[in-house]
Amino acid sequence: MKTLAFLILAAPLLGGLTLMVAGRNLPRRTCEAVACLAIWASFAAALSAWLSFPGGREVITLAPWFSAGPVTASLSVLVDPLALIMAVMVTFVSGIIHVHSVWYMRGEEGYVRFFCYMNLFVFSMLTIVLADNLLFLFLGWEGVGFCSFALIGHWYRESFRGLAGQKAFILTRIGDVAFVAAMALLVTNMGTLSISVIDERVITLSANGALVLGLLFLFAATGKSAQLPLLVWLPDAMAGPTPVSALIHAATMVTAGVYLLMRLFPLIAISPDAMLAVACVGGLTAFWGCLAALSQRDIKRILAWSTISQVGYMLLALGAGDVTGSMFHLLCHAFFKSLLFLAAGCVIQVLHEEQDVLHMGGFLRKARPEIFWLLLIGALDLASIPPTAGFFSKGRVLESVLAQPGQVYHALFLLAAAGAVITSFYTFRLVLLAFSGEPAKPFTHHPAVLPTGMARVLWPLAALALVAGAINLPPWVGGGWLERALASVPGVVPAHHVAHGSTAELVDLAAGLLGFGLAWLLYAPSRRPAPAALIAREDGPLSVFRGGLGLDALYRAVFARPYQALATVIWKGVDWGVVDGAAMGSGRVFAWASERVRPLSNGKLTLYLTMLVAGLAVLAAVLAGGK
Amino acid sequence: MTAPLEHVLALAVLLFAMGAFCALARRNLIMILLGVEIMLNACSIALVGASLKWQAMEGQAFTLFLMALTAAEASVGLALFVHARKRAGTLDSGGYSSMKG
Repeated sequence: MKTLAFLILAAPLLGGLTLMVAGRNLPRRTCEAVACLAIWASFAAALSAWLSFPGGREVITLAPWFSAGPVTASLSVLVDPLALIMAVMVTFVSGIIHVHSVWYMRGEEGYVRFFCYMNLFVFSMLTIVLADNLLFLFLGWEGVGFCSFALIGHWYRESFRGLAGQKAFILTRIGDVAFVAAMALLVTNMGTLSISVIDERVITLSANGALVLGLLFLFAATGKSAQLPLLVWLPDAMAGPTPVSALIHAATMVTAGVYLLMRLFPLIAISPDAMLAVACVGGLTAFWGCLAALSQRDIKRILAWSTISQVGYMLLALGAGDVTGSMFHLLCHAFFKSLLFLAAGCVIQVLHEEQDVLHMGGFLRKARPEIFWLLLIGALDLASIPPTAGFFSKGRVLESVLAQPGQVYHALFLLAAAGAVITSFYTFRLVLLAFSGEPAKPFTHHPAVLPTGMARVLWPLAALALVAGAINLPPWVGGGWLERALASVPGVVPAHHVAHGSTAELVDLAAGLLGFGLAWLLYAPSRRPAPAALIAREDGPLSVFRGGLGLDALYRAVFARPYQALATVIWKGVDWGVVDGAAMGSGRVFAWASERVRPLSNGKLTLYLTMLVAGLAVLAAVLAGGK
Repeated sequence: MTAPLEHVLALAVLLFAMGAFCALARRNLIMILLGVEIMLNACSIALVGASLKWQAMEGQAFTLFLMALTAAEASVGLALFVHARKRAGTLDSGGYSSMKG
């Protein structure tokens, strides 16, 4: 098990390092092969570790790291079903994304850099997934932050892409501050950073201590997972290459926050208030995200907002005390969201970098039927139409929330159900606009030819997106495998407390169909107004949500502008005025004084001698007087 | 009979002042050099007088060094003047003003 755990981490790290050191001197095919092989080797190790895992939990120390005062940090991994299932999912989805990227990036220059960071990204995520020591986990946590910065800004020559990378980095770092604070609190209160030890000692925490720690970790998670209030970086992160979006949204960074909370679930679960805060953040973000997705025109931004919304559902399930449900939705989401993003990447390349759904239209379905079917499968998942995986996982989330007592949870259930309707609506809006009817702007190019493998490699994802619901069927069908697999993870409670039977699934189904019906009413080719009128309608009252409900603008006004103003004052007032002014002023004083002294040196030898003697005379007089 | 130190010092001061006046007031380079020599000689007289008074040999030894110094100074100085005269055509100290600020 130790070897396998080591291999899971070492393979992508080695791949990344190889590319970093030797990538420039290797042929392109070799680089791509190294990157893909590294991930698939990691997948093989993760899969065999999972298959051979006897159950329970195991802490394996790979290497000692350091020990300073009360803090002991070692490079130790915590292997349990939760981590292994997550590792298998991450490596599998990342593997497909890597293979897809080989085609997607086929015409690009910086492919060595790209694949190097992709490998390191997966390595960092696997560190988060496996680490037992929170400090070791934090290495991965910062690693995904850095790699996302590098990958979102991959095409850095266009400044807005570089800025999007910086924005992602800075906003997630705001969350990281809470992470560091929580670690400091853990060290002072519990004297350990090991997750397995924390789980054992968690009962010794005071209620307030648990609440504070829970809230700090929640804030850290909102940064990485793009939840309220730190969600504004994710839509901008669409500036990166589409496979990067798929990687960030489906397998790595965005799920890292939710995963962290799952990992620390025993810590959060002992404070009901912290749980409620997690649920509220999740529920509100879920609703916020789908409202913002409602009127986007950019296909990738629709998907980005839907990620924010779906991760909100995961947090909501977690806040309702259901780790299994959260994990279930995380896994299903990973499959269908990566599928959606990669299919959208195909669409964008076919249409020569066109991203506006209003400019797509029905010929795309005829020109590239395979892409249409792939995207449709992802969309059915997202809209929770049975029997796709998304239907079961979202049903499970709703079920968990419904099962919780208390009015807040009931309100959150209503919010989540309404969110499900809207989700279905914007999903089918995307499908109908992108694949049917007349484009609002006549498409003049020929659709680009794509390598056949680029879409074909997505079929495994599509298959999983269709059938992954089977890993955790609801109790009224017969219960789930995931339920049993995660039973040994601390804090996981069996779902038999759910007494509502199939209510949640019925709500889920109704929401999916209702959303579809609404989308059909507005966007079916036969019911849609003429292109010009459609654009007018889309840019009219419906576009109020396009800016993400003003959160970005609010931050700009409340934080960015005053900061900028302050920086300008310090720059122009303090730096230019005071510091530079003092330096220049003293220089000017000396220049002025030297002008006054300059005439004294007139080159006359006798005058110099006179001065010399006068000086000596003064010196002698002083010395004589001093005696 | 030995002259008292006060007389020796008075002579030295007189000579020094004359030398200084010569060095400062004259504009001919040779006269300036001459003035400096006289000032150095005044120093030598003071040193020898003091040496005799306190029966210590350092003053006389120092005077020997001063003699060597003045000889060297005169030779180097005169060589410089020859060179300067060749370049600028004058020995007037006012003619050398390239060090003007």
